[in-house]
Amino acid sequence: MKTAHKAQILPELALEDRYFSVLEEHLQGASESTLRRAYDLGRKALSDGRSLLEMATLHHIALVRILARPDSSSAEPKTLEAAYQFFAECISPYEMTHRGFNEAIAALRHLNEALEQEIRRIASAVHDEAGQLLVALHLALADISRDVTEPVRERLRGLNPIFAQIEDQLRRLSHELRPTILDDLGWIPAIRFLADGVSRRYSIPIRVETSVEDRLPSITETALYRIVQEALTNATKHAKASSITIRFSQRDNGLICSIRDDGVGFDVRSIRAPGSESGLGLVGIQERLNALGGTLQILSAPGQGTELLIRLPMETQNANSSSTSGQPYVGMPKPEVPSRAGRNAGGRRSQRRPTGDRAD
Amino acid sequence: MADEIRVAIASDQDIVLARQRGRTLAFELGFSSSDSTLVATAISELARNILTYARTGEIALKAIQSTNRQGIMVVASDEGPGIADVRQAVKDGFSTSGSLGLGLPGVRRLMDEFMIESELGHGTRVTVRKWKQ
Repeated sequence: MKTAHKAQILPELALEDRYFSVLEEHLQGASESTLRRAYDLGRKALSDGRSLLEMATLHHIALVRILARPDSSSAEPKTLEAAYQFFAECISPYEMTHRGFNEAIAALRHLNEALEQEIRRIASAVHDEAGQLLVALHLALADISRDVTEPVRERLRGLNPIFAQIEDQLRRLSHELRPTILDDLGWIPAIRFLADGVSRRYSIPIRVETSVEDRLPSITETALYRIVQEALTNATKHAKASSITIRFSQRDNGLICSIRDDGVGFDVRSIRAPGSESGLGLVGIQERLNALGGTLQILSAPGQGTELLIRLPMETQNANSSSTSGQPYVGMPKPEVPSRAGRNAGGRRSQRRPTGDRAD
Repeated sequence: MADEIRVAIASDQDIVLARQRGRTLAFELGFSSSDSTLVATAISELARNILTYARTGEIALKAIQSTNRQGIMVVASDEGPGIADVRQAVKDGFSTSGSLGLGLPGVRRLMDEFMIESELGHGTRVTVRKWKQ
């Protein structure tokens, strides 16, 4: 092995050769001892970063080599059974890893849902509770103003515009946290509303261009909203952008979302470095996309601005779309179970091609 | 068959024996071939832990029965240094093997039930059960 001289131990055979010789021994006389070695080989291969497909290939090549020999007992059912058991043993460590991955994805989805619920709670607290306290304060001041002299009363009246401003800010904040517009009118109006708010707060132009207007499954709409929200935070707070463009389009079987700013940009490799905290927002975006089978591409360089390119497969988004822009969505809650777009294709879906099974 | 099978673990050879006993028991209970493999896998990981952290210990195997199903119980025990934080130990990333989803977290996912008791300085006992599908 190439690292043998470094490790100062006897040179080890390559995995391929060891696999071959242990499998050969196993086929000559299957025993728990050879099975256990198969297991250890698989465990070692896994920690060395060998892929599952590589292991299948490796097994196949070793088996063919053994069976092709003139003295071989040929592919008798007993031999094949023993070979199968050997291979199953070898890949069982991968089964553990695979189950761990499934668990992690499920946990991630759970976490996002829990987070969304928490945000709803905060949004209503900001809107309803803080709003009520503000009204109480308003009334108390009005009460006081009756008992004071005119000049003081005048000064108290001067507070009214500030009250109005606080009320407006609270309403906006709670809407941005969890806009009812997202549930009522859908992701495009919600994202426009969000962009408008951010644009005003930071005094920078934000354009939203879209050739897609269909409603998407609720989980996808929420994810897109949150992704744009995170991207806008990055662009305004860190990138110091002076303009931002958000574009949605449909290509092949997927939805493409591009969020581009003309800010300071950054070295993309730096945020992938372990321990880098600057990329946490992007990690959040990536995780939301993982749960939906989407991908994220980051295009940036110092001084060159940043573009986030997001692709979402269509399977997750057909849903019973109303497709007419600007119309409130009415009807039953959208099903979360993905079904083929072609199956419930209505009349107004001409620009959408039926989806295949492509997973991006 | 209802008796407990005990295998002392002190060497690599003992792991082979424990696996064999586990596989035979699973086979006798009518477990599928792939589930029998998973039982052997869990025994491997548990025995490996004993050798690594406590050097010696024991794997006990037993056929178990609930109202409507049959299963297998594996108890891995040792009198080693014990684990300071068992909750950490069953999380991915606690040890090198754990970061790959192997080790105790891996065993937990292969089995239907998983229980760990440990006391610093007194040893560790891991009990797992797998029911026939």
